[in-house]
Amino acid sequence: MEFTEFRVTTRVMAGIDLVDSLDWELGRAGLDRGLLVTDAGIRHLAERARRAAPRRVVGVYDAVTPNSAVAQVEETARLAQELEVGFLLAVGGGSVLDTAKAAAIVITEGGGLLDHQGVNVLTRPLVPVVAIPTTAGTGSEVTAYAVIRDETARSKLTFSSEHLVPVMAILDPTLTVGMNHELTASTGIDALTHAVEAFVSTKAGPFSDALALAAVDGILSHLPVVLKDGSDIGARWQMLTASCLAGLAFSWAMVGCVHAMSHACGGLCEVPHGIANAILLPHGLEYNRVACEEKFEVLRRRMGDDPVAVVRSLLAQLGLPMRLRDVGVREEDLPALAELAMLDGSIYSNPREATLEEIVAVLRAAY
Amino acid sequence: MPVFATDRELYDTIGTLFKWGSEDPELGPKIREGNLVIRFVYHHPESEITVDARNEPAPGSYFTVHLGPVDLKPDVTMEMEADVAHTFWFGKLNLLTALARGQMRAAGPIQSILKLLPAIKPAYKKYPEIARERGLPGVEA
Repeated sequence: MEFTEFRVTTRVMAGIDLVDSLDWELGRAGLDRGLLVTDAGIRHLAERARRAAPRRVVGVYDAVTPNSAVAQVEETARLAQELEVGFLLAVGGGSVLDTAKAAAIVITEGGGLLDHQGVNVLTRPLVPVVAIPTTAGTGSEVTAYAVIRDETARSKLTFSSEHLVPVMAILDPTLTVGMNHELTASTGIDALTHAVEAFVSTKAGPFSDALALAAVDGILSHLPVVLKDGSDIGARWQMLTASCLAGLAFSWAMVGCVHAMSHACGGLCEVPHGIANAILLPHGLEYNRVACEEKFEVLRRRMGDDPVAVVRSLLAQLGLPMRLRDVGVREEDLPALAELAMLDGSIYSNPREATLEEIVAVLRAAY
Repeated sequence: MPVFATDRELYDTIGTLFKWGSEDPELGPKIREGNLVIRFVYHHPESEITVDARNEPAPGSYFTVHLGPVDLKPDVTMEMEADVAHTFWFGKLNLLTALARGQMRAAGPIQSILKLLPAIKPAYKKYPEIARERGLPGVEA
């Protein structure tokens, strides 16, 4: 371990029906004139947040889609600038949260989103973002990242800065009970991928390890429960917590080759992030096994069996697509996907130094 | 005390490395393939070097190296203390760790820089020679 750092800057709150007291929490934080950012499919959940703080929300942007794109970020920012908002209220899954976070860059710094690519480019606080996740998977409510699709380059761009960390996260399990089986499963696997990849990452440290393992425990114990009974509020709460813990872990430890390949699949072939992770996780783990045997042993003790076997067994219960060919990826896309994955920042914290040929082979195994 | 006393000393060292790279048949073509203008901004001493792999270079070179300010819009700008650059070219500093710790700032599409990382490996061997010839301190592991 060359260097380790850990910090939690988001005020994280969790509770049943907590969203209904949003006005109080926003008031305590001195946040006024918010733009609600959401997607049309969960407008009813966003409306609940708006009804809870009607005087503090002055507009709504609800055109975010999965794998949200640069154009949506810039539209969000334009609307926020027109309304002269003081904060962004993101209610939704990972794409919504990341759109709001990336929009905060444009609102604060001006220009277009692509003008702000880089690392350590953002040097001052951004317009604050309050994050209310409606899925249990992204972890974006506490991370320093925003991943946005560049439609022109057909790739995913990762923006990274301590200033991207939301100021407040509200984990309300009642907002996640309506998730359908596939979304619950794919976002749950996204959280598991965050936890496992953070744990075996070259950037892992004692703080991230503790959080990652707690997240693994929470997900393995409660994902099967919520898949059987989506109305189990207690298990939904545990999943939100586990997802958040995994987010805290990978915010500092970063992720690895599964995310690098998954970002490539999302960018080039528009595969939803959680689905791509679900398909690629067992293959990425198997590939990494030789490079992190000690960490695998810790996971084996924690999971009760070989980590790859446990992940495969869990996936078999979920009913998600199991092959890249089932989600619109063509065999001829594999080399281009591998090239994109090799350029993704996540590949640099992978425990095994990957080559292009090896990543093609992993993708082929998952195809 | 900074490794480089003056900008001239920095140009004579890091600039020499870059000029060597511009003519090196192993490293040069790979940088040229990147088709980028990369600006390195250094502090203590204040100085900048621009690598132009986008425009046609002089015969015998794969790219052009400008020592000092030049009117050319960069695709990527890397900013750091000159001492950090010295450590980096000795091969003793992981780029991602340096970025994570805020020792370096990268403005622009970072992927295009990461893509070049494998190509610059021969420079880690060359730089200590150049530094030693100029009596500059080495870097411990």
